[in-house]
Amino acid sequence: MKKFLNGLKKYFAEFGTSVARGDIWTRLSLVIMGAGYAGRGQLVKGILMTLVECGFFAFTALFSWPYMAKLGTLGTVQREEVFDPLTMTKTVNDYDNSLLILLGGVIGILVIFAFLLLWISNMKTVYRIQTMKENGEHINSLREDLRTLINDRFHVTLLTLPSLGVLIINIIPILFMICIAFTNYDMNHQPPTYLFTWVGLANFKALFTSTTTITFGYVFARVLVWTLIWAVLATFTTYIGGILLAKFINNEKTIGKKVWRTLFIITIAIPQFVTLLLISKMFGDYGIVNGLCSKIGLTGFLQDIGLVSKGLSYIPFLSKPGWAHVMIILINIWVGVPYQMLIATGILMNIPNDQLESARIDGASEFQIFWKITMPYMLFITGPSLITSVIANINNFNVIYLLTNSYVTTNMAYANSNAKEVDLLITWLFTLTNDYSNFKMASVIGIVTFIICAVITLLSYTRMISGNKEEEFQ
Amino acid sequence: MKKKVLSAVLCMSMAASLFAGCGSDAGTTDGGSDAGAADAGAAGAADAGTADAGDAGAADAGDAAANPIDTLIANTTDTVTLQLWCSEQEAYQTVMAELVDGFKSTYPEVTFDIQIGSVSEADAKDRVLEDVEAAADVYVFADDQISELVNAGALNEVATTYTYDIAQADAESTVEAVTVGGKMYAYPLTASNGYFLYYDKSVFDDADVASWEALLAKANEAGVKVGMNVADAWYLYSFFAGAGMELTMNEDQSNTCDWNSTSTSPTGAEVAEAIQTIATDPAFIAVNDQDSRAMYAQDLKAYVNGVWAVDDIIAAYGEDYGAVKLPTFNAGGQDVQMGSFAGYKFVGVNAYSKNVGWAMLLAEYISSEDGQAAIANATGESPTNTAVASTVSSPAIAALSAQSAFADRQVVGPNFWDPANSLGAQFVEGSVTDFQAALDEAVAGITQPANAQ
Repeated sequence: MKKFLNGLKKYFAEFGTSVARGDIWTRLSLVIMGAGYAGRGQLVKGILMTLVECGFFAFTALFSWPYMAKLGTLGTVQREEVFDPLTMTKTVNDYDNSLLILLGGVIGILVIFAFLLLWISNMKTVYRIQTMKENGEHINSLREDLRTLINDRFHVTLLTLPSLGVLIINIIPILFMICIAFTNYDMNHQPPTYLFTWVGLANFKALFTSTTTITFGYVFARVLVWTLIWAVLATFTTYIGGILLAKFINNEKTIGKKVWRTLFIITIAIPQFVTLLLISKMFGDYGIVNGLCSKIGLTGFLQDIGLVSKGLSYIPFLSKPGWAHVMIILINIWVGVPYQMLIATGILMNIPNDQLESARIDGASEFQIFWKITMPYMLFITGPSLITSVIANINNFNVIYLLTNSYVTTNMAYANSNAKEVDLLITWLFTLTNDYSNFKMASVIGIVTFIICAVITLLSYTRMISGNKEEEFQ
Repeated sequence: MKKKVLSAVLCMSMAASLFAGCGSDAGTTDGGSDAGAADAGAAGAADAGTADAGDAGAADAGDAAANPIDTLIANTTDTVTLQLWCSEQEAYQTVMAELVDGFKSTYPEVTFDIQIGSVSEADAKDRVLEDVEAAADVYVFADDQISELVNAGALNEVATTYTYDIAQADAESTVEAVTVGGKMYAYPLTASNGYFLYYDKSVFDDADVASWEALLAKANEAGVKVGMNVADAWYLYSFFAGAGMELTMNEDQSNTCDWNSTSTSPTGAEVAEAIQTIATDPAFIAVNDQDSRAMYAQDLKAYVNGVWAVDDIIAAYGEDYGAVKLPTFNAGGQDVQMGSFAGYKFVGVNAYSKNVGWAMLLAEYISSEDGQAAIANATGESPTNTAVASTVSSPAIAALSAQSAFADRQVVGPNFWDPANSLGAQFVEGSVTDFQAALDEAVAGITQPANAQ
């Protein structure tokens, strides 16, 4: 933190020095950004810099300013149309679109921020050139400047595109979503026809409220807990399952290794959603499995021991809490294990054989070898990918949505918040936006999901990868 | 460090320039459409003048109705691009393509480019509200979506019609169904989205299908199943509506609901108890439409469903296929006739259509008497047009029209569905012991303020 503050202080101090000690050209750069370059003979660079400046002002004045000016209210003029029945044409007033205002406003502010950074760093560069000139050093021509981009400043060339991508596809949507969480963008305030506006922290308050009908607080806590349980269980069951399967297939005594491996890879080759839809049909209340179970008397047996309620004529594999939770995790093992098996097979083949041999010579049992050598090695290699899978499972839309799309909750508290017991945060969010156009609450949930994922990632990465454990495995 | 900052700045400035690109794009299209709208406005104003003049002239000729269309044709110089969304079923796609061809030949002076997209009427609302400006100009949707579509401003008001008069062509109840807040918002297309009882005549006779009690007794005796998706709010409604209870939407999209009433006869709790008795009968299964299809050929011999299932039913029951209005059920000692939702399919015009005049004419053409007749022939769905309806007949449609005497139009706010689904699921589970409490809880959810969430 202190380092950061010092950096900040230095950053602005340098800017101050540039202005204070700059000569006429340098100071002129405060207004006309290219002046500092032009004054030292870098004419093209000067013109380019000035053009960027002009571009910025044109962009702000012509495009983003109209949006930013309305950012405080998110628009005041609602759409009104007048249809003329005689000519069959329609006259529409010049209405505000809250969504565009928000988007344009966010982009406009980001651009202003970027321009300020550019402006400050421009001053410093110009001042550096001034001192170089005073010391009689060589000042690069444009051609030389460009050449550095493929030599000593190659990283700049390489990083430009990815950074842009991150900005466009990550940062802007996230900022946009965060903003929506503070508005009343819902079913009754849908742009372009209707306006939405800022409501402060009301939505966050709703997320933590529980009354008879506003049950977001009640549901949110339960959905969150199930999401976390699911993410951890789904990840570790498939992980352990994959390793065991790989061990089994790699064992010398296993016959027909290739056949086994192919069989499991075929399950990957079938698109996941097809598999999942088929399974959800099979385990449906009136599906094949239930037909079999009632024929062999399993349904009756489960009713006798109280696992299935007497009123049901079927086993509610995917239609009652508890049953559905367990089944989802079991089905996920079946669907997810082949992937982990493939990964584990590759790593198992790479375990240094000398370690295994020396362990055997020392008289270690197979289990000891597995527990003391194989597993730590696997964990070390796959640690980062494990974290990624936990995050991916938190957002594992497919499995949950496809398996439980006909699930109806009997708990009124869930129903009042449009959720069900088996929902993850992500599927709940989907229902809220897709079926109920409740974008404001969906954004709030999205932010919470994002925070959870970010915290888990940060914590586990720093814990697992900070130390250099590579030595331990050599 | 400096280099890092510079690279960041470079990115930012490049990003800025990039946004300038796409941003100004959006700006221009926006401006374009605005300008377009303004143009249209100006043109509209100018045209209004000419149309008035034309009108004055035409008043003499006594043919005022044709004039706006002539004006529209005269004002249309470019190709008219329209998009039409209707069900993905093959029969629908084929008949719509024929209708579109017919529409084109009705107006030979104009070049059309009409695309037919497949968006099922059940999904129309979701797809339209994703991006109303990019949605189809004309779309077919189920009647339960009308209030939400109007609420989002996605439907063009049917201020006037040009080729036929909806109020004359259709029954009054149909006209009411397309009316929201005193204004018409859609063109009625089919009246077949309601539900009734299918049964196998080889198992049940007329007396058996008159009441749930007789139906279940016979099913138990014959060792077959009867079904209805009680865990679905849409079907659950029929019991309470039959008992005369109220469920309507208020101005603000919230609901008024008295399913927990203790003063009606039978009371809400008595109805609820009756539902649970039916739903937990050994011969009863609360299977959903999709899962039921494979079961007709097995032991599901009576099932509450709509005309969309008629092909599967005929395939399974063959000659013995029968359809009647919904049975009665016994609540609190009296026999109550089940109600239902009257279901329609409507044609809507997108309020954001660029060619709203032509879109309206296309919607009128599809929903006209000839259009409905073509659709009824192709899909077997019953038309709303009273003239066409009298010519179409099948047991399913006869059952539907018999049920329509007990059917209400669906005016329901969005908060109804999840709590009512949940209530139905509780009955199916057979877990309710205190019926009044369960109803109170469900009604609290159904009637919660629309903006609470």
